[in-house]
Amino acid sequence: MSARTRSGSFDGVALALYDGLFAAAAEEMGVALMRTAHSPNIKERLDHSCAVFDARGRLVAQAAHIPVHLGSLPRAVEAALALGPFRPGDAVVLNDPYAGGTHLPDITLVTPVFLGRGRPDFFVASRAHHADVGGAAPGSMPLAREIHEEGLRIPPVFLQRAGRTQDDVLRLVLANVRTPDERRADLAAQLGAQATGTRRLAEYAKRRGRAELIRAAHALMDYSGRQVRAGLAKLPWGRWRFADALDDDGLGRGPVRIAVTLTLGRGRVRVDFTGSSAQVPGPVNAVEAVTRAACAYVLRCVLGGSFPVNDGAFRALQVIAPAGTVVAARPPAAVAAGNVETSQRIVDAVLGAFARALPGRIPAASCGTMNNVLIGGADPRGGGPFAYYETLGGGHGAGPGWHGASALQAHMTNTRNTPIEALEHAYPLRVVATRIRRGSGGRGRFRGGDGIVRALELLVPARVTVISERRARGPYGLAGGEPGRPGENRVQGYSISRTGERLPGKFQMDLPRGAVLTVASPGGGGFGRARRRR
Amino acid sequence: MKRVRRAAARAIGVDTGGTFTDFVAVAGGRLVVLKVPSTPRAPERAVLEGLARLGAGRGTRVRHGSTVATNALLERAGARVALVTTAGFEDLLEIGRQDRPDLYALAPRRVEPLVPAARRLGVRERMGPAGAALVPLTAAAARRAAAAVGRSRAEAVAVGLLHSYANPAHERRLARALARLGVPVTLSATLCPEVREYERFATAVTNAYLTPRVSTYLDGLSCGTPARLEIVLSHGGTAPPALAVREPVRQLLSGPAAGLAAAFQVARACGFERALTLDVGGTSTDCAYVAGGLPRRRAREVAGFPVLLPVLDVHTVGAGGGSIARVDQGGLLHVGPGSAGADPGPACYGRGGPATVTDALVVLGRIPGEALAGGALALDRAAATRVLGPVARRLGYRVPAAAAEGILAIADARMEAALRKVSVEQAHDPRGAALVAFGGAGGLHACALAGALGCDAVLFPLHAGVLSALGALAGGSRREKSRSVLLDARETAALERAWRALEHAVRAEFAPGERRGLGVERWAEVRYRGQSHEIAMPGGRDLEGRFHAEHERRYGYAERARGVEVVTIEVRAGTPPGWDRLDLAPPRAARGVRPARQRVRHEGRWLAAAVWPRPAVPRARPLRGPAIVTDQGATLWIAPGWSARVHPTGTLVLGRTP
Repeated sequence: MSARTRSGSFDGVALALYDGLFAAAAEEMGVALMRTAHSPNIKERLDHSCAVFDARGRLVAQAAHIPVHLGSLPRAVEAALALGPFRPGDAVVLNDPYAGGTHLPDITLVTPVFLGRGRPDFFVASRAHHADVGGAAPGSMPLAREIHEEGLRIPPVFLQRAGRTQDDVLRLVLANVRTPDERRADLAAQLGAQATGTRRLAEYAKRRGRAELIRAAHALMDYSGRQVRAGLAKLPWGRWRFADALDDDGLGRGPVRIAVTLTLGRGRVRVDFTGSSAQVPGPVNAVEAVTRAACAYVLRCVLGGSFPVNDGAFRALQVIAPAGTVVAARPPAAVAAGNVETSQRIVDAVLGAFARALPGRIPAASCGTMNNVLIGGADPRGGGPFAYYETLGGGHGAGPGWHGASALQAHMTNTRNTPIEALEHAYPLRVVATRIRRGSGGRGRFRGGDGIVRALELLVPARVTVISERRARGPYGLAGGEPGRPGENRVQGYSISRTGERLPGKFQMDLPRGAVLTVASPGGGGFGRARRRR
Repeated sequence: MKRVRRAAARAIGVDTGGTFTDFVAVAGGRLVVLKVPSTPRAPERAVLEGLARLGAGRGTRVRHGSTVATNALLERAGARVALVTTAGFEDLLEIGRQDRPDLYALAPRRVEPLVPAARRLGVRERMGPAGAALVPLTAAAARRAAAAVGRSRAEAVAVGLLHSYANPAHERRLARALARLGVPVTLSATLCPEVREYERFATAVTNAYLTPRVSTYLDGLSCGTPARLEIVLSHGGTAPPALAVREPVRQLLSGPAAGLAAAFQVARACGFERALTLDVGGTSTDCAYVAGGLPRRRAREVAGFPVLLPVLDVHTVGAGGGSIARVDQGGLLHVGPGSAGADPGPACYGRGGPATVTDALVVLGRIPGEALAGGALALDRAAATRVLGPVARRLGYRVPAAAAEGILAIADARMEAALRKVSVEQAHDPRGAALVAFGGAGGLHACALAGALGCDAVLFPLHAGVLSALGALAGGSRREKSRSVLLDARETAALERAWRALEHAVRAEFAPGERRGLGVERWAEVRYRGQSHEIAMPGGRDLEGRFHAEHERRYGYAERARGVEVVTIEVRAGTPPGWDRLDLAPPRAARGVRPARQRVRHEGRWLAAAVWPRPAVPRARPLRGPAIVTDQGATLWIAPGWSARVHPTGTLVLGRTP
């Protein structure tokens, strides 16, 4: 027993101590960011993530925030590393999906942490979803054909050098976005969070020694690696296939297939996406970092347990995503929805394959979409532009022994909603109703959870973008359970139709004052055959 | 039933805990401490027994920190509640903020709302953000809503309408329609008129949920004793039972708030303006940071439910004496959050309990003697050693004592993280602050934590084991009210009117005799128009200018051309706390007592430590660690490198040995 406990010179007590310390540093960064940011998207919806990396850019610890951010952050650090050598007080900014990012609104900062002379010993990173980074539509998630329409693309560049903010970089960024004051404040908050993480690691090193801290980070990775291997040893060996699909690419082409071949055995997990659709003209393409993040998330869910999530935990994971497919897009493909929608479908497909490997352990599909709503225009009260972004939860899949939860964020996101009262103060919008969509969960021995219906009235003419999925086919059921009811988008008050015109899953349109947009999110899939009612 | 003293108590502070109900009484010019085993099924029994033993009579003022509301919420043993809300928004209470608590759970569960869908009743009405009635509430609609509530057989009603903080007219009209049902009604706009519908509705619902239960409890107490009763609220001050019954949600943090208020006074009396407080109990540890005043926060969660009311900023972590230690299959040691509770309790209680932090402390020799909690519990050392054996083996250690040190290190680390949350994470520097350690075990962790955080001093107050009861006893009568106004900071006349109205409402809640000599403070939550983040500012002249300055100080810039918005105003009023009137002089020194000796393990070595009963601690010279001081229901470990001196107020002040 004791041989398994010890990792280098660290025993079960020391490992537990350091696990807590590194996690606390990441969490503290998140708290600092949330406290000082200005936009509702970061402050209210908590659409941000923070993590600590070692000198080689390997994940050491993360705060439990948004899965799609966390699993993809290592790529951002890797991209930032290329800018070295670094000096203390440097900070790299980036959002380019083809150089460490995921989609353009997610802006990432990477800061080297120097605990001694010479080279950085650690890196800290924070990623936050900024409500607007320019491009063809407010909210920067237009139905684009290439990335250049989606907004400002920032390759890894220094935002701070030796403690001084690079004003030219900042000016360039702010000149290209719709709400520059808010962006500046949110970037300042991110820089503050980076400083918080840096300070905390320096404090640890002072107390416990730099070398000890570095060794502890590696010991924790080894520990997680062992835990994951032990978990994998309990799974069956073999190969399983599953395929799911996106409704369409946003420009009328679909369905867009995601195919998975899952191979388990010899302490490894291989997820092969060969057979998935080629990249498409619309914005549902995912970059490889997003695909990897989705696979890491699924592995963590399936293995359960409480091992620290770090680089070691995912050493056993091999992801094969052929370049030029919808799960590993090449430039200049548009990618705004790859992060928010395709990531969810990748989870559904990989979980589906696991459900075949482990029948009776994996739940049916959850709503499988973030139901992104973006509204922007000119606010008559202040005259300035506004950009509102919100995502909607939905029904969760039922599982062997439990009904699916209703009206909750699923899988790759966990953002909160904006309070209705705050929303109506901040934007020229009125919420007409917000309800649980009763009966939308798939039937089965265990019922899928229900989705949400939200109706919003525009008080000014505005440009509306909706990016949603599972409008054509509902989330799948398992073991005889029925699929959840597909989602639905409608607009009332711009056409002669009284009940409102049914719109596609992804659309962008200019709507007049008084138009009412209704978004209904899908229910989760059911599990097991429903007993017949008499 | 034996009486403790002849002299009837003039004032008594009572704090209900999981294991013991603590009493501190002023009687015959001195403080008397009493511990009575708690009676969780009927907590009033322990309270009444203690009051009777202390001779509480008609003239006795009893101030009570109560856990009845908290436990009712934790155990979901409250009333059958109906919620009347804006039609179209009946499900907000269930949807909440739509985030799931555990990111990686394949079967995420959410906290069931306190009101099921069938009793969430929509009414046709709608207010806009500026308080204009977009859809007026008709008398017929109000009547129909009341009838529906009647049919639901609800025992209490909450009313929560959109934007009611801006205009409460519709909620009030519904209250009039509901009055004839004869059940308690909570209006969200009266309880917490602030922006954020989910949190406001949930707070109103929780309040309604607790009202009948707290009412029964307080009635039972009032009938059982002739004493004058007051209840400690989450802000640390007290209110009469009539008010406490109407707004029971305000007492969810009653106990921790009283302890914090007392710790703050202790620090101040010893000359420390800045202090961290550490209250280590059986199942949890409460931490806070104080600097010149009591720390506050706008809202918090209790048992998964949001409470949109200002409370003292106490952070609670599930690590206490009863926290269970276990080694996972990968060999990692975990301490808590599971707790052995009061029954069976830690293994050393001798009732077959699991390995806990208390057992680790016993094995390390930090808890001397044969008994716990001032003699109320026998200590089974052999049992503690026995249960640590398997833990040590799984960790690869040869002796239980090594495992005990590991358990203590993890428990300390969790407490340290909690202390950092209230200090460093909020940009407060713990270095140079004092650490006030209380609760049964606060003193056992204090030196290690002070060292880790860079605190200069550890304060171990008199009556450290019953400090919450002492805080209840000494706390002043207090009321607070806030309201969202969303006014421009330049609309000074409108602001003044709003503040006056609020002040008037706050004053009206005090007994006529208390109104003179009230300390009244005005506060405001201020932000740039269009932002969603506020800064708390004291009310007064040039709010706008002071806000710009404060924003610049905190974030490095100010936008002087931009509109400044006052989101929420607040009035806090209270009678001064009664610390000066308490006799807090230390008990007479016991001379000529020779300390016992105890073997204590510290950093892997066994040392010999002196064990002093508190009254016998020498005053002439500092007491150097390693040493142990035992008090009624509390123990202090003076680690090597630290030494203690007795402050004139009786507090033991520990500093680093020069």
